[in-house]
Amino acid sequence: MAFLSLKDIAVAYHQKNYILQGLNLDIEKGELVSLLGPSGCGKTTTLRVVAGFIDPQEGNFILDGEDMTKVPVHKRNFGLVFQSYALFPHLTVKENIAFGLKMRKMDKAQMEEKINEVVEVCDLKGLTDRLPKQLSGGQRQRVALARALVIEPKLLLLDEPLSNLDAKLRIQMRVEIKRLQKKLGITTIFVTHDQEECFSISDKVAVMNNGVIEQYDTPENIYSRPKTEFVARFIGFENFFDLTKVEEHQYKNQNGDIVKVDNDDDLQTCKGTIRPDDIEIVTSADKYENLISGEVTVRTFLGKSYQYEVDTSIGKLVVSSSSEEVYKQGDSIQMYLPANKIVLV
Amino acid sequence: MRKHKGLMIISILVFAFLFIPLIIIAVTAFGSEATITFPIHGFSLQWFVNVFESESFMSSLLLSGEIALLATLLALLVGVPAAYALARYSVVGKKLLKSFFLSPTIIPGIVVGYALYQYLVLSLGFPVFESLLLGHFLVVLPYVIRIVGSSLDQFDFAIEEAALSLGCQKGQAFFKVVLPNITSGISAAFMLSFINSFNNIPVSMFLTGPGVTTLPTTLMNYIEYNYDPTVSAVSVLLMLATIVIMFIVEKTLGISALAK
Amino acid sequence: MKKKMHYLLLVPCLVLLIVFLVMPLIQIIFPTLFPEGSGFSFANYLAFFQDEYYMTIFIRTVRIALISSIVCMILGVPTAYFISRCDKKWRGILMAVSIFPMLTNSVVRSFAWINILGKNGVINNILMSIGIIKEPITMLYTEFSVLIGTIYLFLPLMIITLVGVMENIDNDMMEAAESLGASRVKAFLKVVLPLSIPGIIVGCVLVFTGSLSAYTTPQLLGGPKNLVLATFISQQALSLNNWTAASVFAVIMIITTLIVMKLLNAIAAKLDKRGEV
Repeated sequence: MAFLSLKDIAVAYHQKNYILQGLNLDIEKGELVSLLGPSGCGKTTTLRVVAGFIDPQEGNFILDGEDMTKVPVHKRNFGLVFQSYALFPHLTVKENIAFGLKMRKMDKAQMEEKINEVVEVCDLKGLTDRLPKQLSGGQRQRVALARALVIEPKLLLLDEPLSNLDAKLRIQMRVEIKRLQKKLGITTIFVTHDQEECFSISDKVAVMNNGVIEQYDTPENIYSRPKTEFVARFIGFENFFDLTKVEEHQYKNQNGDIVKVDNDDDLQTCKGTIRPDDIEIVTSADKYENLISGEVTVRTFLGKSYQYEVDTSIGKLVVSSSSEEVYKQGDSIQMYLPANKIVLV
Repeated sequence: MRKHKGLMIISILVFAFLFIPLIIIAVTAFGSEATITFPIHGFSLQWFVNVFESESFMSSLLLSGEIALLATLLALLVGVPAAYALARYSVVGKKLLKSFFLSPTIIPGIVVGYALYQYLVLSLGFPVFESLLLGHFLVVLPYVIRIVGSSLDQFDFAIEEAALSLGCQKGQAFFKVVLPNITSGISAAFMLSFINSFNNIPVSMFLTGPGVTTLPTTLMNYIEYNYDPTVSAVSVLLMLATIVIMFIVEKTLGISALAK
Repeated sequence: MKKKMHYLLLVPCLVLLIVFLVMPLIQIIFPTLFPEGSGFSFANYLAFFQDEYYMTIFIRTVRIALISSIVCMILGVPTAYFISRCDKKWRGILMAVSIFPMLTNSVVRSFAWINILGKNGVINNILMSIGIIKEPITMLYTEFSVLIGTIYLFLPLMIITLVGVMENIDNDMMEAAESLGASRVKAFLKVVLPLSIPGIIVGCVLVFTGSLSAYTTPQLLGGPKNLVLATFISQQALSLNNWTAASVFAVIMIITTLIVMKLLNAIAAKLDKRGEV
């Protein structure tokens, strides 16, 4: 059995509006798992069920073989980092960090030692006597992390902890979090809506939508083999087209043309999808399969490449191309959809 | 989602403490006996009839309304320009001026009434009505300064400058651009001023004369000599008026406008 | 030229306040400092502090104000916290419910307690009909009834002031404390209460100064035996024509109010420095 497991969790407001429904999730010890999804998908609710702020109507939350569903928040011993950091404004950095230890009635000497340790680890030396309002965003973030880690939590729960930082700091901090998490070996749940952040930091990702987990897999697999149209769209796939199976690795599109697909799932009718930058613009002599032609309707300059919207017989396709040849509105082009880049959903 | 049972129980008890007395009054207003009894033994509307037939209640009601309206308008008339000058310009002694304008709040009402009575009525021989009006003006001015002042503090004066750059004259800009954007502050100030003037007793206590007695003062005098449900009936009518006002405020400004 | 216009806007307000507030106040204060044709002296004020009867009234007023503030605080803090944690809809309803008594005339609100505490009042009737007491208990026209009336008068003000402060305390803060091992009660005591102290002090200033200058409630519920500063002034001036005593009391009232305000606001400012986010 997994270290952490959520079984058939259901949460509803007023007994009818379901936010989570039949949610299952297993996490192994020491893993960092991200909950990824758009706002309102239930990721924060899931985290709050784990933290104990929400009693699920149905289901159980089991940690290390122990049913935690009914354990009150303050007895769970989980470290939480909030999007707002929720530092206590009336307490200094040191007092903030000491808060959890004082609640555990730890003796002074031991407390000092623990605080010094975590201050060292989180790089907060020299800031301990300041008040939260005297700190920068990144420093506040580190205090929040230190305050959560000092109680040696069984789980670390991070709720969009980086979304209030500027882009550069965000990248720095996520590396920092990953480093700390691996060093301490602490099982962590990370809630985010930013896919890049999520892929870079996680061992596993659960993509959520409408209160259920659509796909739970490694970042690599989610990136290259999304299982549902929602996941595909969420992580950057565009260009969806209907396909019907003819034989192994061979599908027919709505015009009856054969499309070859390497990653074959056992689906009779499905949709094929491909990222804009996986489509190649070709001259007709280059390739002999998976070709489609169309007319450029919109061209957008993106810096290192151009993006074209192309009208084709199977619908609008979006293509990015960094080739030197630049097409203009009204040009007819040929596109090649590599069989190993097409994903079926 | 998460319940706070202990807090809820305390809160329910507090609200019971706040409302049971008012409910008791409301019930006694409908009693049929000549003195106030609770619970009532019979139902009657005669006390309401009493109120409407009473010359002193009706005339003091009118006077209270008149004074409250005039005092509020006077306070707006001098208070809005003052609040505007304080918010817009860097006048010398801004802080001091503001606390001076707010100072009537820290002078107890009874002292205001007493001082005005000595100074205006006894020394200068001012008519009582005008003295009462000035007393109520002093009571409500701080509301105008504070509430209109805070909505002006939130006003972005770049908008006024934009109007000027588009060819608006200074005074015109105030009426066309500034005023429309602080109407909610002015309405809130109006409401609170009116209610507070209408309800005020200490200031009016000294400033009464023949034909110049406010409703609360009449009520107070009535209570000293009578113990019949007429006062309960007046109370019910006043509470109904309060509910109507609150309803209107909630629909227009939002109820929090009255919590300022 | 332009600058002068700015000041012109302030003139009407200034003139009215000077002529109708400052001058009247000077007129009542001045004679108290020049007793009976002699030169400048504080004799009237010294006499005040040496007069046992006067001091009884002064101390009673302060005592009532102090106890009311404390009781309002004790009842107001949990209620306000409860309101501040309700969802938006309920918060609006409960705020409206708190505002309603505040907008109700204080004569009405005091009158309610006459009906409850009087000899034939609700409480005596109930107690006698159950048979707990045979004779009605005297509750009205005591310091107790003034106290109840004053608390009743100012509790909504305390609640509304506190809700204003507490609804700005982020719920995350409570949750963070709980996740760190604090029970609900502990989290409240360690986080919410310290952050609310500036607001609590503001509430206390309002209740204290309000009950210090309250007139209606002590007049209706206290009777002539339980005079406070405000009712004493009206009695001395209106019934006894003792203008000097009334004026001295008026000055003492203003000064006490100012001292209390300055003192508590200074404490609040000091605490606020730490509390600000």
